[in-house]
Amino acid sequence: MSSPLIEELIEALRCLPGVGARTAQRMAYHLLERDRAGGRRLSAVLADAMDRIGHCAQCRTLTEDSVCRLCAGGSRDRSQLCIVETPADVAALEQATDYRGLYFVLMGHLSPLDGVGPAELGLDTLAERFAGGELAEVILATNPTVEGEATAHYISELARREGIRTTRIAHGVPLGGELEYIDGGTLSHAFAGRQEL
Amino acid sequence: MRIQLTPGFVLHERPYRDTSALLELFTREHGRVGVVARGLRSRRSRLRGELQPFCPLLLSWQARGELGTLTGAERRPSAMLAPGDALFGGWYLNELLLRLLARGDPHPGLFDIYAGAVAALAAAEAPAPVLRRFEAGLLQALGYGLVFGHDVESGEPVQPDCDYDYRLESGPVRVPPGQAGGFVFSGARLLAMGEGRFEDAAVEKDARRLMRAALKLYLGDKPLKTREVLESLRR
Repeated sequence: MSSPLIEELIEALRCLPGVGARTAQRMAYHLLERDRAGGRRLSAVLADAMDRIGHCAQCRTLTEDSVCRLCAGGSRDRSQLCIVETPADVAALEQATDYRGLYFVLMGHLSPLDGVGPAELGLDTLAERFAGGELAEVILATNPTVEGEATAHYISELARREGIRTTRIAHGVPLGGELEYIDGGTLSHAFAGRQEL
Repeated sequence: MRIQLTPGFVLHERPYRDTSALLELFTREHGRVGVVARGLRSRRSRLRGELQPFCPLLLSWQARGELGTLTGAERRPSAMLAPGDALFGGWYLNELLLRLLARGDPHPGLFDIYAGAVAALAAAEAPAPVLRRFEAGLLQALGYGLVFGHDVESGEPVQPDCDYDYRLESGPVRVPPGQAGGFVFSGARLLAMGEGRFEDAAVEKDARRLMRAALKLYLGDKPLKTREVLESLRR
């Protein structure tokens, strides 16, 4: 049986995703036995990050600045705005595509049964942005779930009211996939969204 | 207990642990059931695309205690609800079921009414009459069915040209001509509601007023979240 402080450390580490009792114990003993410096650094950075990181005033992504680097920088195309659900989606798109426009992060999707509505998603901030007259295209990159589609639908109506062109990312068969092994939902969506060649 | 390929719908999904989800199912034979879908949110999940809300499914799970474990799901061909009023209508149905049904209490009749309502919404029928018909069916299935056909005090049939005060816990009571006040509906409208003629806009409007009050008795003071979100979107 370990001491109360060690127990507390193990319990605290369990708040991390994918970390159960066993892993938390390994992490705690590793830091205590072999890497005190690393542990101190982790605790300092963690405390700093938890205190200082908030949301970008323009795109709502996570940042310690009032406006994030992407929004503040001059190298991006300010006429395109891509709407995503989470900061992780921004990272995924930045790594995978050559998109040069800006982002808006909803930090979720419409989910009426959980009480998540327009206020929680910052749609009022977004509507002001649409009214600003800077945008030529809004790209809706919410997830292809029922909630994601509903969110995209409402945002597209907001954008259309301001006369802004709206586009939705395509979804369907993954690259290198075989039709036989694809689930029915994806396949029927892909089929319904077929394109002229 | 193993349940194999029984008809049902997913009412609600919540993230659980890293890659799993907690699903609230509504099934024909077993009523409302809570199950864990292991690995549903992982990259390799094959069930992800199948387990969509408002899709008729064949569901398999293993029941053990309060929460079962989902073991399989097959989607039956169906149309999706269009984002907008149809989808909000669907969410409203789901919230009513989640609020008013207890787990493990089968209601095959109500299940068929729900399946019919979802199919009608998917077929882009006007949502309002579909919702009113569902509300009436839901109240009936829960044992709180509304009386439309007779005066609950005198026992006389409802007359189209008289007015009635609707007492939510019993039914309509005839109001003497000239007397105002109360929760009043015309006899003609009550008879139309009893026949399910909600396509008539005036009947539907009265039915909405009546059902909302009747449902409030059983929902309590906690408001419906779907209604709040829809209202804030319209603003």
